[in-house]
Parts: sequence; C-alpha cells; structure tokens
Amino acid sequence: MLSFTIFVPLIGVVLIALLPKKLESASKWIALTLSVVDFASVVYLFTQFKRGSDAMQFVTRLPWIPQLNIFYHQGLDGLSLPLLGLSTLLFVVAILASWKITHKPKLYFAMMLLLSVGLSGVFTALDLVLFYLFWEIVLIPMYFLISEWGGERRHYAAIKFFLYTFLGSVFMLVGIVALYLATGSFDMIVLRHAAASLGGGAFGTPAWWIFAAFALGFAVKVPVWPFHTWLPDAHVQAPTAASVLLAGIMLKMGLYGFLRIAVPILPQAFVHWQLIIGILATVSIIYGAIVAFAQTDIKKLVAYSSVSHMGFAMLGIAAGTAAGFNGAMAVSISHGLIAGMLFLLVGHVYERTHTREIAKLSGVAAVMPRYAAAFSFASFAAMGVPLLSGFVGEFLTLVGTWSSKNLPHILVILAGVGILLGGAYMLWLMQRFIFGTPSPAIEGQPDITAREMTTVLPLAVCVVAIGVFWVILLQYANPIAVMLQKAVGA
Amino acid sequence: MTWLFFIPAFPALGFLALAFLPRVWRNRLVYLGPVLVGVSAVVAVMGFLHYYPGGEVSHPFLTYSWALARMGSTQLLISFKIDSLAILMLAMVSIVGLCVQIYSLFYMKDDERRGWYFCVLLLFTAAMLALVASGNLLLMFAAWELMGVCSYLLIGFWYTKEEPRRASIKAFLVTRAGDVGFFIALAVIYGACGSFELSTILRTAPSWPAASVVTVGICLLWAAAGKSAQLPLSVWLPDAMAGPTPASAIIHAATMVAAGIFVLARMMPVLAQSALVLHIALWVGIITAIFGALLAVFQTDIKRILAFSTISQLGLMFAALGIGSIDAAIFHLITHAFFKSLLFLAAGSIIHATGTQDIRKMGGLVRRMPIISLIFTVGALSLAGVVPLSGFFSKDAIFESFLVAHQPVVFALGLLMAALTALYVAKTWLTVFFGDAHNTEAHEGALLEIIPTGLLAVFTLLLGFTAKSWLGYLDVHVEMPTIPMATISTGVMIVGAAAGFFLYLRHIDNDWFAARSPRLMKALDARLYTDAFYEKVIVGPYFGLSNLFWSLDRTVIDGVVNAAATSYRRLTAFAWRADAHGIDGAVNTLAATVRHASTLTRKVETGHVRAYQRFTVGAVILLIIVLFAVLILKGAM
Repeated sequence: MLSFTIFVPLIGVVLIALLPKKLESASKWIALTLSVVDFASVVYLFTQFKRGSDAMQFVTRLPWIPQLNIFYHQGLDGLSLPLLGLSTLLFVVAILASWKITHKPKLYFAMMLLLSVGLSGVFTALDLVLFYLFWEIVLIPMYFLISEWGGERRHYAAIKFFLYTFLGSVFMLVGIVALYLATGSFDMIVLRHAAASLGGGAFGTPAWWIFAAFALGFAVKVPVWPFHTWLPDAHVQAPTAASVLLAGIMLKMGLYGFLRIAVPILPQAFVHWQLIIGILATVSIIYGAIVAFAQTDIKKLVAYSSVSHMGFAMLGIAAGTAAGFNGAMAVSISHGLIAGMLFLLVGHVYERTHTREIAKLSGVAAVMPRYAAAFSFASFAAMGVPLLSGFVGEFLTLVGTWSSKNLPHILVILAGVGILLGGAYMLWLMQRFIFGTPSPAIEGQPDITAREMTTVLPLAVCVVAIGVFWVILLQYANPIAVMLQKAVGA
Repeated sequence: MTWLFFIPAFPALGFLALAFLPRVWRNRLVYLGPVLVGVSAVVAVMGFLHYYPGGEVSHPFLTYSWALARMGSTQLLISFKIDSLAILMLAMVSIVGLCVQIYSLFYMKDDERRGWYFCVLLLFTAAMLALVASGNLLLMFAAWELMGVCSYLLIGFWYTKEEPRRASIKAFLVTRAGDVGFFIALAVIYGACGSFELSTILRTAPSWPAASVVTVGICLLWAAAGKSAQLPLSVWLPDAMAGPTPASAIIHAATMVAAGIFVLARMMPVLAQSALVLHIALWVGIITAIFGALLAVFQTDIKRILAFSTISQLGLMFAALGIGSIDAAIFHLITHAFFKSLLFLAAGSIIHATGTQDIRKMGGLVRRMPIISLIFTVGALSLAGVVPLSGFFSKDAIFESFLVAHQPVVFALGLLMAALTALYVAKTWLTVFFGDAHNTEAHEGALLEIIPTGLLAVFTLLLGFTAKSWLGYLDVHVEMPTIPMATISTGVMIVGAAAGFFLYLRHIDNDWFAARSPRLMKALDARLYTDAFYEKVIVGPYFGLSNLFWSLDRTVIDGVVNAAATSYRRLTAFAWRADAHGIDGAVNTLAATVRHASTLTRKVETGHVRAYQRFTVGAVILLIIVLFAVLILKGAM
C-alpha cells in the first residue's frame, strides 16, 4: 500500500511521456488526477494508521543489494505520516496553481510528478541508501522547474540551488558511509541501537564527526544560518508552484533528516551538538526576520521569513525535550501550509501584474477584498496568532526550549523577540501591500477567482483545524517526541 | 447554570456566521451583533442572580476542562472556570458590549463595510468573554492575542487613510512586544509546574524556585503593561483613537486594556510571592497615573483626552495591584469600564454632531444637545470622583488601600493624580459645553445613541453606593469611604476642578503655556518624548539594521558562497588537466561529475535532456562508486 502511494505518480510520468504533442494540454489533467489519487491514498493511510504508537507501520522490507546489507525498506510513523500528507496535499494544490503553464507542459507536469515520487520516498525510506537515492531524485526535477520555468536569473538560481544542496547531500553521504563502516547496517531502525558503540559523542569521537556530517547535510536543506543564501534566490526565481513545494515541503526534508536520522541514531553526539544547533537556530530566527524586513520583493520577504520560521523548528529540535520535538514537528507542518498559502497568493498577484515589487503594489484591499482577506489570514497565521497553526509550533518550541537542560534561557527570550520581529515584517508588508490607496498596477484587477481560491482554501482549513484542535497533529507527533526525548535522555 | 459556558459562544457564533458571507448580506445582518451580545448579557445577569450572593474566588461554581492534546507524558489541559469574579466580569463585558453594539448600529450605519465592523467586534467580544471565563493561562493567552488582532483590525478600519494604518500597526506591535512577555511567562510556568491550569499554578506556586516566580512576575507585568498601556508601553493607546469611536469605547476603555489588570489579578497569588514584582507594579502604576493625567490636561482632541485619561486610570489600578489590593483594583476596573465607555460613546455623538474632535472648536453644546451633555456630565463627574458617582467610591477604595499598606508617598501621588484629573475634566467639560457655539448645525443625538449611553449612565450612577451588594459578590469585605478619606479626596478634587475653572475662565490654554515656557510645552506636546524615544532608539535604527544585515547577507555570506563556487570551478578546471595526466579511479569521476554540474550554465541551454541524463547519471555514479568503495573497504577490514 505504501509503495503504491510512493510510486503511483510514476504512472502519470509514463502517461505524459506517451502523450502525443497535440494533446499536451491533457498532461495537466493527468497530473491532477494522479496527484489526487496519491493524496487519497494517503488519506486512506491516515485512516488505517494506529495512533498513539511510535512503532513503524505499513512496513515493507525486501532485500535489494544483500551483499551490502541494503534493503528496500519502508515504513511510516507519526513523524512521517503528517509530512506525507502535507506533501501530497501540496502537490494537488501546486498542480492546480500551475493550470496556466503553456511552456512545455508535458515536461513540466512530468517533473512535478517525479518530484512527488522523490518526496514521498524520502519521507518513507527506512534504509539509508534508499533515503539517499530519493533525496537525490528530489533535486533533479526541482532543478529543472527552476531553470526552465523560472524568472530572469533562473539559471544562476537553479545552479546555486543544485550545487549547494548537492554539496549538502555529499556530506550526508559521507555520514551514511561512515555509519555503515562502523556498524555494517544501513537500517535506520537497527542503527538506533547499533550506533551506541561509536564513542560517547563528545567532541572528536566518531559519533561526533558523523553527526557533524549529517547535520551539515541537513542544515543546508533546512536551511540554517549561514547556509541559507540559496533559498531566497531559488524562491524568487522559481515558478509559483515550485516555490510552494520548495518552502512547503522540501525544506522539511532537512528537519526530517534531523528527527529521523541524526537525533535518534546518534543521540549522545546530539547532546554535544545541542548548544551549537540552538545558537544557530536562534540566529536564523532573528537574522531571517531582520533581513525579511528589508526586502522590497514580496517573494524574497516570504523566503527570508521561511529562514526565520525554520529557525523555530531547529530550536525545538535543539531543545531535546518532548515539547520541543513536538514544536519542531508542528512548525514544519504549519509552515508548509502557511508558506504554501503565501506563495500561492503572491503568485496570483504576480500573474495579474507581473511584478513582485512591493512599491508597485498597494491598496489591494480596496480592489480585491476577498484576496486581501485571504492574504491577511495567511499573514496572521504566519505571525503565530493563536487558533491558527503557526502558534502551536512556536509556542511548543519556546516552552520546550525553556525546559531544556542544555540550552540557556536567553535563547527563549531571543526567540520571543524573533516572534515580535516576525510581526514587524509581516505587518509592514500588509500595510504597504494590502492597505492604502490602490496603485496603478492593482487598479482594475479582478478579485481572486474560484480556481485560485480552491488552491488556498484546503490549506486554510488545515491551518485553522490544527490551530484549534492541536490533537489532530500532536496525536501523531507526540509518541515520536516522547521516543526522541527518551533517546536523548533529557 | 452550564449556560454560563456559552456566554463567549454567542458572539463567536455571530462572527462565524458573518465572516463568510458576502458583503451585502453581512451588511444586512448587522443586527446579529446586538442580539447575540444581548443574549450573552442576559445569560450573564441570570448567572449573577443565580449564584447570588456569590462566593470566594478560590471556589469556582463551575469548571469545565478538556485535553488539548497529549504533550510528553501528560495531558495539556484547557479549561473554563466560572467563579464570582468571572461572573462579574462577564456581566460587565457583555453589558458594555451590548451598549456599544446598539450604539454602533447608529454610528456605522452609513459605512459600506459596516458588516465587517460588526463581525470583528463580535470576535473581539467573544475573545474578551473567553478570557474572563478562562481557568487556564494558555486559553487566556489565546484570547489575549485574538483581542490584539481585533484591535488592530478595528483601529485600522478606515485603512485607506494614512493615520489609522500607522496607528494600527503601532498598536499591534507595541502590545505584541508585551505579549512576548506573556509568551515567556508561559514557558517558565510550564517548566515550573508542567501545566497551564490556573488551579495547578496557584497550588504549586509556593514551591517554585524564587527565580521562576520573579521571572513570571516581571514577564506578566511587562505583558500587562503592553495591553493596559502602562509606561513604557503606553505609546500605542493615544494613536489608537484613529479607529471608530464605539470600538474605542469597548476595546480601549472597558475591556482589552482592562485585560492586563484582570490577568494580573488572577495571578496575584504568584506575583505576591515577590516583593520586587509588587513594587515594580506599584511604581509603574502610580507614575503612569500621573503621566497620563498630566498629558490629558494639555490635549485638545477629545478622544486623546479620554485616551490619556484611560492610561492614567489604568495606572491607578496597576498601583492597587502593586499593594496586592485586588478588590480595589477590580472595583475601579468595573466602574471605570462603565463611565469611560459612556464618555467615549457620548464623545462619539459629539464628534458626529460637530464634525470635529478638537474641543476648541466645540463650545456651547449644552444648548444644542442637552441630553448627550447631561449624560457626558455624569461620566465626567464620575471620572473626576464626585460624590455619589461610582468613580468616587472606587477611587477612594484604592486610595484607602494605599494608606492601609503604609505607602504615604504613593498616596500623595494618587491625590496629585486626582487633582489633575479633576482639572482636565473641568477644563474639557467647560470648553465643550459652554461658551460660544462654534457649530450651529450640531443637533441632539438619535435615540440609538441616547439609549445605550443612558444605560451606561444609569450604571455609573448606581454602581458606587451599591458596591456592598455587588462587589461583595467576591466574598470580600467592602468598606464605604470613611469621612476623613472622602473629605480629603473631595477637597483635592475641588482644588483641581477650581484650577480647571480658572484656566478656562482666564483663557489659559496651550498657547499661553507655550509663550511662557516653550520648552516645557514642546515636551508635553511630544508626550514627554515617549514616542520619540521609540522612533529614534528602536524604529529608526531597526530600519538601518535590517538594511545593513540585508547587504551583509548579499556581500559577505553569499559572497563566500559565490567565491567558493568560483574557486571550485577553477579547481575542477585544474583537475581536468590533472586528469589528462592520468589520475584514475574515484577522484577522477567525481571531479568530472562536479565539473559537469559547475559548467552547466552553458550546457543547460544546449539541451535539457542531455543535462538531465548527466545529472541522473552523475548522482547514480557517485552512489555506485561510494558503494563499491565501501565494499572494498569492508573486505579490507
């Protein structure tokens, strides 16, 4: 069943490839159908999932390269299932948002589906080699989505994105190999016990170095300051749908890597890394928020806000407490929904006006009231207003960080200041973009259409549902958080 | 009386009903607002009567809790708690809310977005009602933040104008700076007792480490200073007057600004463990009280006068909390809520009738709008502390408590504040209602204005000497002001009012002061430089800082990345030459793969399929090479 979820979009890739050029406009329908099927299959998995357990479910384990002890090994737990749900939902939304793509639609939608396979694979793989393979698969379609359908500086952005994250994954590969050499296993579950033999995890021990390799690989992906500069470039140049996926789900691969691999396999090394990660995370929060404030391009502003929000998730991880891990997982889901909404909405205005310069856009509320309402909603969600999902993650992160034994309390206070700065750049954006008197570019534009609303609405519903009923998300996250806390020994 | 739990739900339902309707329908259904808040008010009053004569705050009549989620090994609880204090507050909020809703029907009737106004006002009312009925700090914080959002939306309601936009963002950010304190307090509390339930917090607090108590106390004071507009976070409230006047009446006079006081009152057993925290509250409160009253004297905008007056009165409540006198603070909170929202609504009618907010352009209104004038006078007398209006009783209760707590200096400062209050009230009252009429078109208010304002006036008249029967609801001993106390405070009030009369009759206005002492007047005009402080020290530098970081990001951090990429490209070119000289094996292929990637800018343009193959092949080759290397290494070991 799980393999079906992962590979079903491949059917679409084949179908689209076989499509004659004359019928190329049908490729979007194929892509939409398969992404909906994929999402439906995840919904089915949700219904079958046994909640409140930290065990792997729907496990498949087949020998793949037995000489090297490599298996086709997959499974789901409370950490991966919500991410899988987010990923497949965002694909439906992203494909709907790409409805007006006319440049090489066949290649475009095939790439989208391929990307979907890669992401589902990353979130379900339990074998490190399989994980690495999917991790790399994700890079390629995204590279093309940026370089072929992106903005003016798309080639630079695409190459930068590719090389930067590729470099990160090389470090990850080094970590994988080192783990294998030390233990003889690629199995993430086995390694949770097997890696205990790698020294105490203090500075200089093998475990410390392996953690360093993984942490570097994942930190680039998150991205943690100072490895973040690929993100604004990639975001600004990427087409709307790619931005949605990039912010919505691909950044979470890094967080997932920490929570699935680095922390549970090398908990003792993690304890020695907590402070460093915590400080870098706090720097990300503050720095991202400050730089976001200076932006004149809406997309870049949202991109830097992602750096800031990802900082919260990393801080939650660094805390090493159940509340912190819960917070990190909540931030990753919630940011996926909220950043997704913001990028979609920015895309809608870009399609109308062909500019993202805040200075040229103002007074949206007077011309497009429903759009303004949707954007304001997303902005408040991003600011972490209670009853919306953004609050859950930030709140749990701060609560978890205060209780952490290895992080100083000043980080909580600085992160609190980060929340305030988050309000500052978002409100200032709203003041310039939404309110005020309409600018020439905005004047006379039609309000948000039904199709555009369809792309945003499901995300908004999830934002409210998670924000009001925390249990929806935490029933999956908490068992994992408890397991991780035990592993870390906090 | 489980119905009491639904008091916040009625306005919340109204919000949900209106929020998703098209504008036309929303505008038609504005009547939902007063009806639903009216239902809340009726239920609250029924609850009050049902549980009469009340009881101790520590013994709630009803509680309802549910688990938000499992967190770690415990349940994260959320709860409502209906006790005597909650019922009093619910009744106050819903009655003032009802009056404001009715008044708004008139005030907003010609606005094309009136449906949205009612919608936000309903959400706000629901949040405030939820806050006072909450038995859980997390729920309180959620309501607290939602109120901030609603306040932002209502202050900036007329968003096409520059002033409301600036005011709304300022209000939201300044109060949010306070909210960060609440946020941190919650984190500390969870660390200390693993729960956000008030009952658990208050039970375990005596055994908390002293550092936690002080941190929580200071953070909560900071948060309350933000919401209740105390120094140094008071700067947002005067600007917030850019919103619709009835919204100011409920948000910036009766409820949201009082929420800070309310939360501190709820947490008093924790705060009282630290003398330091109480001292800070006391001094911040009394200094703010004087600051607000002093600046109110020099305002010429009627809403600004009321705003500074609110800052000042809230300061008095803050100070009362600072000596641990919850009863006096709550007493004044409730009487102030009624008479200040009355003043705001009456001021709204005056502004509506005269078309100006500048009191110097009003004058002679007592003849043109006698009923509104009479109602305003009731509120003004209560604010000034005239017997037997409610403000007199509650203010004296606070002064009394200063004496009981042996704080003669604070008591003296309180009297000074009372004198200043009487002064600006007298001056404003005379300027607005007497003298030459500048507005010949001004007319009496409509029935929809007079009824709710009149209702508030009735409460203002009655709440003082009936305090024993309603404040006694909290099961506290309510003392009427003693004769010496009443004499002193009345004397001070008369002196202040006389000074106000003097200034008015001698035409001593701001220009007179400016001519005598330009520097002093300039400082007063600039609100003693509180706003300038934020603009010069925080806002301005922050713009600079953010631009600096942004350029550093591009030049330094990204510069390193680009430099690394460039030198790497040179290195691979070198490796290519080295390769020609015969370095074989893994390094060879690895370098080639990277070279493909790094020189791809050129190649992607020549054909995607080929590049695509190269990437895929490159990644797979890398993996295979590594796996083989691993295999060999493993064999070697």
